[in-house]
Amino acid sequence: MILTGNEILKQVNLNRIVIYPFNKTNLTTNSYDLTLGDKYLRYTSKILDPAKKAKYIIKKIPKSGLILHSGDFILGHSVEKIGSKKFVPIIHAKSSIARLGLFVHVTADLIDIGSIGNITFQLYATLPIKIYPGMLIGQVSFWVPYGKVLLYNGKYQGSVGPKPSQAYKDFNQQNSTMSMTGGRSQPQAIST
Amino acid sequence: MILTGSEIKKQVKKGDIIISPFNDSQVNPNSYNYRISNKLIEFRIKNDRKKTIKINIPKKGYILKPHKTYLASTFEILGSSKYAMSLIGRSSLGRLGLFLQVSANLGHTGSVHRWTLELVCAKPLKVYPHMIIGQISFWKNFGSITHYNEGYSKFNIPTISYLEKERRNHDINRK
Repeated sequence: MILTGNEILKQVNLNRIVIYPFNKTNLTTNSYDLTLGDKYLRYTSKILDPAKKAKYIIKKIPKSGLILHSGDFILGHSVEKIGSKKFVPIIHAKSSIARLGLFVHVTADLIDIGSIGNITFQLYATLPIKIYPGMLIGQVSFWVPYGKVLLYNGKYQGSVGPKPSQAYKDFNQQNSTMSMTGGRSQPQAIST
Repeated sequence: MILTGSEIKKQVKKGDIIISPFNDSQVNPNSYNYRISNKLIEFRIKNDRKKTIKINIPKKGYILKPHKTYLASTFEILGSSKYAMSLIGRSSLGRLGLFLQVSANLGHTGSVHRWTLELVCAKPLKVYPHMIIGQISFWKNFGSITHYNEGYSKFNIPTISYLEKERRNHDINRK
């Protein structure tokens, strides 16, 4: 089951959904609109190797905008701090953004329950596009879980700004490839 | 409703979800991390003709070229006769620009197999055999179920599109 906009508002007021800052006008029928933060991350490594820490730079998106060329890939972030211990968030692009050929995530739309922080947008442009800090770029929907909830306690918890991949942490105990774990600390149990 | 990690584990024990091999450390709060197998299909295009090339991913890794589609499969056998599934990428690899499934993420109730993965990367990216590459979530159904047991669900290896096969047959018939 997906929460309606009215239910999102109710759950924010009950502190069961974190959206901060919260602005009522960003509520839609089934989601909440997210705005683009002013920092972005660009990888400088020529080849991205998930077993190694990638090199990157973090820069500011100027107020006058940043042009992405087709094929460009950068990480951005939401202004808002998002999360919930009761519902599962899923990230989407705003349809107006998608119509301009911009992906806001690279097929990793599912947020773990209990993960609270800025959303890292995986921005991939298929057409030249200008992006501005503070623009409406994405939306988040909330879904009802089924079963006992074990909260997220992973490597991206409490993210601020764009967070680069930490996939290399999964490769730490890599002697044989099959011993790789999910790189996640054991989730902590809570009563629901 | 989306199943929590602990519910996925419970349903695996009950047999209503198949994840084989199953590894506790790959359970997330609301999904399960799956691995890629050790095979890829690469498409080489010459004079508008598409040729498929099978690749064994070497232990030292294989570099995917950006903006190209590759097919692979999951290492695990995944499925359920009770829940619907969504097979997507994982944030650690999404952050490196790897698309998994080209907007066809829905897994039908009843299909249990090694899933064909569609990979597209935004930057040159190394993949390793059996690395954790994506995640699968399970969703409760509403309504009576007609099991899906056609199409691609009988395949355990990366399988190219039927449309492609149909087109090829069509081309042959035309000749």
